[in-house]
Amino acid sequence: MIEIDARGLRCPQPIIELGKKISTMNTGDEVTLLSDDPATDPDLSAWSRMTGNTYKKISESVFLVTKLSER
Amino acid sequence: MVRVTGNFQSESPLHPKAFEVLHAAFESGWANPAKLSQFGAQARHLKNNALESIGAALSIAAETIVPISPTSLGYFLGIQGLLANSSTLIHGSTDRKDVFAISQKIAHHLLHSGLDGKLHSDKTKFTSSVLALHIANAETGVLQDCQQIVTDVNPDYIFLDATTSGVRIPLMDQFSSALFDSQSWYGPSGVGFLVVKNPSEWSNPLPHINAAHPNLDVSLPLVLASAVAIENFSAEVEGANIQAREFNRQLRSAFSQLADVDIAGSLEASLPHMLSASFLNCNGEELLREIQNDGYSVDSGSACTSDNLEPSHVLAAMGVLTHGNIRITIHPHTTQSEIDGLIASVIKNVDRQRS
Repeated sequence: MIEIDARGLRCPQPIIELGKKISTMNTGDEVTLLSDDPATDPDLSAWSRMTGNTYKKISESVFLVTKLSER
Repeated sequence: MVRVTGNFQSESPLHPKAFEVLHAAFESGWANPAKLSQFGAQARHLKNNALESIGAALSIAAETIVPISPTSLGYFLGIQGLLANSSTLIHGSTDRKDVFAISQKIAHHLLHSGLDGKLHSDKTKFTSSVLALHIANAETGVLQDCQQIVTDVNPDYIFLDATTSGVRIPLMDQFSSALFDSQSWYGPSGVGFLVVKNPSEWSNPLPHINAAHPNLDVSLPLVLASAVAIENFSAEVEGANIQAREFNRQLRSAFSQLADVDIAGSLEASLPHMLSASFLNCNGEELLREIQNDGYSVDSGSACTSDNLEPSHVLAAMGVLTHGNIRITIHPHTTQSEIDGLIASVIKNVDRQRS
């Protein structure tokens, strides 16, 4: 399982790190994003809509992101 | 005079005519309108005339208008004054924080926002309810379908937040209390006007000895300046709206050329002078500073620009990207060259941050 530990990073850094990682992954792959930034949850929702990927909130600071699109 | 309000920030410069009146009024000094002296009577007369002007511009009876200061106090007065012990406060997820501050301690029901910024009304029934409804959103300018929401929710009492829409959008007939902000028509900041349509529906929630109309002793010069500002801006608002809509269209069209831009709400469903746009993978605070260095001041709803490091609850409730956000307010004297310069600055700085 791929993991990005973005705890302690403030927006937009967690989403930038996620974007970098996901561009190297294959469609259908999953990545766990650890982030305690309060903007990450709402921004993952917008990011998923804008990029065509999807995510599930596992806990307050753990998000499971699935790559569904080419970006 | 050195300008202290940013060219594209929400804080508006005082209308020049209001400034003249304010200056003269402070120079003369005014008696307390409540006192029974010759000067008190003169002050009372001026205050009543000012409220008549404001009432005429807003199509509201002058005797229902109460000047208040600061404007934010009006949320407490306007909403709390309608609540009974058994009431549920129904309000939107994109309301101002002042409304949340009231609802967090009492029974409440939230109306959620769609991606377009429109509140979704539901038909949940409550034995007794007060609906707090903003006409236009303070951050995005998105207009609510007030009549539809009122029909669906069917509350006992309605508080309308007109602090952003001001004189630009007429109040609907059906309401109990409403709040206006003098700044929305380029009057002085810190002055609001609470409207209590029917005194039998409202009780003064502040400590008071007699139940009569609250008298909050708002500075008379500020009330006079508010009246002059609304008289003048009312005459200009139609032209200002047309101009702002065209500038707003240019901004939205230019920003849409960039990849991964999230614009909050459509121009057709928003006040024409407001725009909130978020740029993926950009830092709001840096963007704000870089645009400022080019001579343009904008606002931001990004977490990194707020005191508590929380992102804008409005953008989060809509599902719009909260980072890399800028908010632009177009004022009546904004020029084409300022718009061109702002567009160039935003595009340049977004590109630079992404490279």
